[in-house]
Amino acid sequence: MTSERVKYGSLCCIVMMAVAVFLTSFSPRTTVSRFSTAANVPVFHSIPALLVESYTPEFNIKSDSVIIPLKRAGRLFLIEARIDDEVGNLVFDTGASGLVINNTYFRNHLKSGGAVSHGITGAVGTVEQISIGQIEFADLRYKNLRADVANLGHIENRRGVKILGLIGFGMMRNFEIVIDPVNSELKLFKIDKTGKRLKSPHSGFKPDCSQKIEGNTNILFLKGTIGGKVLNFCFDTGAETNAISSDLNRKIMSSVTITRRTSLKGAGSAGVEVLFGRMNDFTIGNHPIHDMETIVTNLDALSEAYGTHIDGMLGHSFLKHGTVCVNFVSKQFGFRFTKGEEK
Amino acid sequence: MKTIACFILLIVALLFSSLVTLAQVDTEKVCRIDDGQLIFTLNLKWSEQEKKKISALFDLDSTLIAQVYSGKSVILIGDETWKVKKVQDNQVELSKSVQSKADPTIQVNDLLVVMDNWMNFAGNAPETTTVYGINNFEVSNAFVYSSSIAQFYFPLGKNARKVYLSGSFNNWSTTQTPMKMMGNGWMVDLKLKPGKYTYKFIVDGKWTTDPSNKLRERDGAGSYNSVVYCYNHVFQIKGHKDARKVVVTGNFYNWNPRGLAMNPSSDGWTLPMYLRDGTYAYKFLIDNNWTTDPANLSVRKDADGNMNSFVSIGEAYLFKLEGFTTARKVILAGSFNNWSENELVMDKTPTGWQLPYVLAAGNYEYKFIVDGRWMIDPANPFTSGSGNTQNSFIALKANHVFELSKFPGAQTVIVTGSFNNWNRQGYRMVKEAEKWILPIYLQPGKYTYKFIDDGNWIPDPANQLFEQNEYNTNNSVLWIDPLE
Repeated sequence: MTSERVKYGSLCCIVMMAVAVFLTSFSPRTTVSRFSTAANVPVFHSIPALLVESYTPEFNIKSDSVIIPLKRAGRLFLIEARIDDEVGNLVFDTGASGLVINNTYFRNHLKSGGAVSHGITGAVGTVEQISIGQIEFADLRYKNLRADVANLGHIENRRGVKILGLIGFGMMRNFEIVIDPVNSELKLFKIDKTGKRLKSPHSGFKPDCSQKIEGNTNILFLKGTIGGKVLNFCFDTGAETNAISSDLNRKIMSSVTITRRTSLKGAGSAGVEVLFGRMNDFTIGNHPIHDMETIVTNLDALSEAYGTHIDGMLGHSFLKHGTVCVNFVSKQFGFRFTKGEEK
Repeated sequence: MKTIACFILLIVALLFSSLVTLAQVDTEKVCRIDDGQLIFTLNLKWSEQEKKKISALFDLDSTLIAQVYSGKSVILIGDETWKVKKVQDNQVELSKSVQSKADPTIQVNDLLVVMDNWMNFAGNAPETTTVYGINNFEVSNAFVYSSSIAQFYFPLGKNARKVYLSGSFNNWSTTQTPMKMMGNGWMVDLKLKPGKYTYKFIVDGKWTTDPSNKLRERDGAGSYNSVVYCYNHVFQIKGHKDARKVVVTGNFYNWNPRGLAMNPSSDGWTLPMYLRDGTYAYKFLIDNNWTTDPANLSVRKDADGNMNSFVSIGEAYLFKLEGFTTARKVILAGSFNNWSENELVMDKTPTGWQLPYVLAAGNYEYKFIVDGRWMIDPANPFTSGSGNTQNSFIALKANHVFELSKFPGAQTVIVTGSFNNWNRQGYRMVKEAEKWILPIYLQPGKYTYKFIDDGNWIPDPANQLFEQNEYNTNNSVLWIDPLE
């Protein structure tokens, strides 16, 4: 299973590091090439982000749906899982395509070869992959799968929880997926070929706004507007805040309040500029969301990694406003605002 | 009356002055991005304090600010060119291009730390600061704690398929602690040390606050965690059956005279509670009359001449110094009492000096002061630091032993890691039976560490868990489980 997340990480455009700040999940991308011995070999996969691999798990229970309790670590959502003999947490990270595994706990696993990557400068590197016998969580069991490997130690060190890996939509795209951050639940519903829920004790999801899912990737791209202009966002539950591109036009940027800036100095002279602020004029499906925290940075690298132009990413600062329903089969995204949230 | 009026005036004045300050610098209007330029609007009339504030919020170099205020129009800082433009009276715009490239040597972790500070992320720090606690359940048998076994009960969920208990005691595991259906509810026994714990039930995947526990705290995600204390102490006083109200107060309650209400019992008054390990002064208030604990012989006079009862929670460690029998005074000083040079006077014995002292589980450094001369404990081979800063080291209730079997010929082996901020000076390991060891107390959580063998940094050769660090070498990884 190839994840563009790693590819994404292997980009050496360090501007992205500013984004990485909020994307715990970003760092696997960085770790693969940037902090390894081949630190300065910029690599990414030649086919950008458009692989639609998915896995169908076995249900341990006779039910058409399952509720997975999400644990919280800062603004990250975690799913407790067992991967072969290791017990720990998976970060629910929709910015990752499928499964990325923390190499700390799986060094003795069989390497299933590396996916060959082509560098933007012509350099060639590989993304390491391993074979996993079984992964289990909340009455779901997946067998015999491949996963990308990355160093996720910094998430552990920062959040104090054992991280076995990252899990994205690819591992659940054959279900209707409901993400309920208020109740810290991830609900999966079995669906038929047209995307309709099978007999289920739960009633259907009633969104306040909905969008057709475009493209055929495991990454969810959403349309939102700032300052009246329609922008392309990726939906990333592994991002601890939103991010928007600093090179958006004047009208858009004038609606963003910048409240903080820092410039981190490295061994070189320039440092990394990180701007932090609020989106004041964001709407999704004609529903405004005010005062969303956001990072402002250059997102060129992100666009390149995902193979499509991206103006921003919607992370936890967006998700906390309501419940999300994603159905990759019927290609529907729905959002229901938490009561009292919508203004 | 006059005092109240003055007080109100003062408050109004304070409020007004803070409003004035706020009005002067609206930090949200300082910075903007326009057409690829990062622009700061600065007021030339700002005070030094205001300039400092803006400089900190937006990471603007103080020399840059100084040059702006001295009237320069082009300023070069590092390889960035800043331009200054006067926009109106007393206002200038300071601008530069939005960064399009960045330094590849920046460590992600540095950024993460900055962001965590900005967003006020609270870490998942273990609960250690609570000094005392009393439970508040709707029915008394909803939670039982005796002989180190805590019994949790979920009174609902008759039709639930699975119920789990999840809390600070099991790292909020959603799978580790399943409950058993018992009659009309679900039950589980858990071995727990005295202390404060937060928890929830997970009923068929749904997080559920304990409906019978009135003690709750915000969970940071819009809901509440239940709070429970596992008790380790009972305050009791016999008799006084006709008293209207009996309370206990002490330094654990900041000597608040309201006190903690005690409950009438068959032969007097009683109050079970959790008290963190340590030594406490206390008194009872019986219908507003102060009294020491008649059943407790440990009574000492405070500086004002009042008598207080004393109670120690936790085991006392006996600090001992053999010899020095001719010394006049020996003091124990350490990290546990801020290295006070006069607080802990040791008792003389026929062969030396000793002092029993109650300390919570943890790692401590200490020294003896023999007639004014500081010295490490000659009977303790474990030390930290070197030269004048070398101290004796002790881990109380150690729950882990670092071991290094290799390098038996090394002169010094040090273990260092995230538990001591990677201090190069230690902790110094001790050779025992061809093996270097260091017992240590570690709170539950993750630790990264390395050994320093005669100056060479090496990961633990016996530990398969390691991760790459910012120097592209490996740190060993260790997890301490809360239930162990």
